[in-house]
Amino acid sequence: MHDGKVKITRIEIGDGAAIPSQRDEGLFTAWRIALVLALGTLLYLVITQPEPYWRLLKFLPDGIVVTFKVTISSIALAIVIGLFTGLGRISRIRAINLVASTYVEVVRGIPLLVQLFYLYYALGRFVAVPDMLAAIIAMSFCYGAYMGEVFRAGIESIDKGQTEASMSLGFNRTQTMFFVVLPQAWRTILPPVGNEFIALLKDTSLVSILAVSDLLRRGREFASESFLYFETYTLVALIYLLITLVLSKLVSLMEERLGRYDRR
Amino acid sequence: MKKLFLVLLCVLLAAPLALAADEKPVIVFATDATWPPMEFVGADKQIIGFSIDYMNAAGELAGFKPEFKAVAWDGIFAGLGAGRYDAICSSVSITEERQKAMDFSEPYFRVRQAIVVPKDSTVTSLEELKGMRVGSQISTTGTFAVKAVAGIESKTYDEVGLAIEDLYNGRIAAVVCDDPVAAQYALNNEKYKGALKIAAVIEAGEVEYYGIAVRKGNDKVLNLVNEGIRLVKERGIDQELMKKWITE
Repeated sequence: MHDGKVKITRIEIGDGAAIPSQRDEGLFTAWRIALVLALGTLLYLVITQPEPYWRLLKFLPDGIVVTFKVTISSIALAIVIGLFTGLGRISRIRAINLVASTYVEVVRGIPLLVQLFYLYYALGRFVAVPDMLAAIIAMSFCYGAYMGEVFRAGIESIDKGQTEASMSLGFNRTQTMFFVVLPQAWRTILPPVGNEFIALLKDTSLVSILAVSDLLRRGREFASESFLYFETYTLVALIYLLITLVLSKLVSLMEERLGRYDRR
Repeated sequence: MKKLFLVLLCVLLAAPLALAADEKPVIVFATDATWPPMEFVGADKQIIGFSIDYMNAAGELAGFKPEFKAVAWDGIFAGLGAGRYDAICSSVSITEERQKAMDFSEPYFRVRQAIVVPKDSTVTSLEELKGMRVGSQISTTGTFAVKAVAGIESKTYDEVGLAIEDLYNGRIAAVVCDDPVAAQYALNNEKYKGALKIAAVIEAGEVEYYGIAVRKGNDKVLNLVNEGIRLVKERGIDQELMKKWITE
């Protein structure tokens, strides 16, 4: 029956972003094809048509830096917000539960772009918040709600027996949560968080509307000043694609490492 | 017999239409209606402004019917190239760069760049803004002026109104835009006039002229528009419009 290698069936939370799936074997995987095509096209364009592509490539890097800054700050803040939201959603204290649930409902009901505008101008009116910080706050505020749901699902997926055993050993509820449940839930939570990270990176293109000089904004500036719209957006799209491909590979590597101990 | 009758009927019905169409050619102008007082959206959701009145007058005199289409500034030139409209009437300053990509009509308005600052600012020139953030609308001559001074952090906005709002909220140190627009916001606008002022009009910069942009080689529209502009200037209608719309 089994000849040494056991194939574990895993229930995968398929949300499309984790393209390099474990079962993809063989030379031609979707990820490799996408990477080769994107990188190949980029290099081809820059080398054979340095004007305008090389000029464009020199113009964009500080935009890429800003995009990364916003993404990383936002995801860090969103994880913190998500943790507290998730805990709040399963809390037995009704007040906390209501606050967390209302937050999730409200944020999930308003489009991200509208939230960006609102927080940007609302924050501007009452508090003098610089634009990048306002963008980060808005992005983490929105993504925090989704993270909260991910955390909640991860925590609830841990067997109730764990909680019961831990309580019977003398841990109180808070200690149980932080020393027993969360460390185990982390394994379920981390892959979706990785995917949200990638989605957030793409959504940072929205902050260009707040005049934050991210990759897309730099692209738009170049395009409208040189009238080379097609060339600019081709390159910007390729760059976003390459960044996303690299990150999704990292996410899938992380999933693999976390899943290593699943084989029992 | 019946067929002949039907054909005749169609011709008779179509004829008035064909004749009517020859009356006045329609020229569709794209305009970014966020640039008061030149072109903006009025209280009743219509596009109004100096440029609109100017083109309407030009159309009356030269014999064309202008139609205005609201288009975002960022893609307005791309749309012209793609043939989505016939011309751009949106306070487009005539520059060498732009002339390579499109044809311009005769100039119809003269502007300089102006710097708008908060009321208590002591800035009097663009050089003094080194190290600070200065806003402007993306891809306008205002942005080019800001970028020409090294050391200023240039922030480009989709609309000049958003830049003014950020200036009002203290996020940026100044806004550079064409002087009629600066005057409109700093002197005329109910919300902003107490809080903003015009620091300076950039004298050292070049004088700019607005022109109507048309696709390269589109002489038919260009000639009509030029004729209209010429007649408007001849009759002094542009002076009247300036009195009506432009704050000094």
